[in-house]
Amino acid sequence: MEHPFTWYSLLPYPINLIAEPNFTALVVMLVLIVLALAFRKSLQRAKDPAIPDEGVTVRNVMEVLVEIVVGLSDSIIGKKGRKYVPLFGTLFLFILIGNFFGLIPGITPPTSDFFVNLGMGLVVFVAYNYFGVRENGAHYFKQFMGPMLLLAPLFILIEFFSHIFRPISLSIRLFGNMFGDHLVLEIFSNLTKLVIPVAFYILGSLVSVIQAAVFMILSVIYVAMAISHEH
Amino acid sequence: MRKLLSFVTAAVLGIFTSGVAMAAAEAAPAGGDYSRAALAIAAGLAIAIGAFGAALGQGRLAAAAMESIGRNPNAADRIQLPMILGLAFIEALALYAFVIAFFLQGKI
Repeated sequence: MEHPFTWYSLLPYPINLIAEPNFTALVVMLVLIVLALAFRKSLQRAKDPAIPDEGVTVRNVMEVLVEIVVGLSDSIIGKKGRKYVPLFGTLFLFILIGNFFGLIPGITPPTSDFFVNLGMGLVVFVAYNYFGVRENGAHYFKQFMGPMLLLAPLFILIEFFSHIFRPISLSIRLFGNMFGDHLVLEIFSNLTKLVIPVAFYILGSLVSVIQAAVFMILSVIYVAMAISHEH
Repeated sequence: MRKLLSFVTAAVLGIFTSGVAMAAAEAAPAGGDYSRAALAIAAGLAIAIGAFGAALGQGRLAAAAMESIGRNPNAADRIQLPMILGLAFIEALALYAFVIAFFLQGKI
């Protein structure tokens, strides 16, 4: 299969040394930083921060996104989950913007690279174990032992594999969705140049939003399971 | 349904065993071609069977969710989130099949 045109291939030599997914991820980060600065500035400039702007502005869009993340974390973890919201928000925004970048012709989204996703999955894995230990202390490790001491060896094995597999399944899910989506879009754009790809663009934007939300919801659930006290 | 299933199984087994038998019989001279054909068939079957199972599962889940929303439209918000989660979990299985199929396709 010959590789289709990407804007990345036009880059000159020194920038070329950064691999393609890393470069796109850097561009996504740049976009996020610019958005965050614009949001911060418009919040500072507003006369009354409680009154929203009129029309579609950066501030309104960002406020909607923040509300989605905070609402989800509140409904699953509760009020004490507020201090973990930055992690979920970072993941959600990065994946969302990255997925949307994939809809621009000639750009491969950073999330369609397995190792970018594995990085995010490992961050979630380390984070929820750390949060669990910080919240519950040594009791956190009791949840791996199962209901009775006799069954502990069996349960430790089962829990070990189910926990190890979490970041891998998180990253494979995102990778497969974005990669498959991109591939379908590419194939149908090659087959029929007009009209038909629009349907797959709609599907693609739907998948982009849902997968970003799913990644975030699952990490919220993992953190909620780790820091809850009744085990 | 059972008839269809048994037919499909028989067809799959037949394809595989005949492929293996033929590859074994022909051995060295044209051996490469048969392994490539087996890879192509395997890649196609991997994603086909994977998508088949995931489609059945997602269909059941969506049907149950629609039914419960129809019975109690007020609960739609609370049903939607677990439904999307369940869809994502089932979807992951199809994606594993997709990844395997893609690797197999790359080996042809």
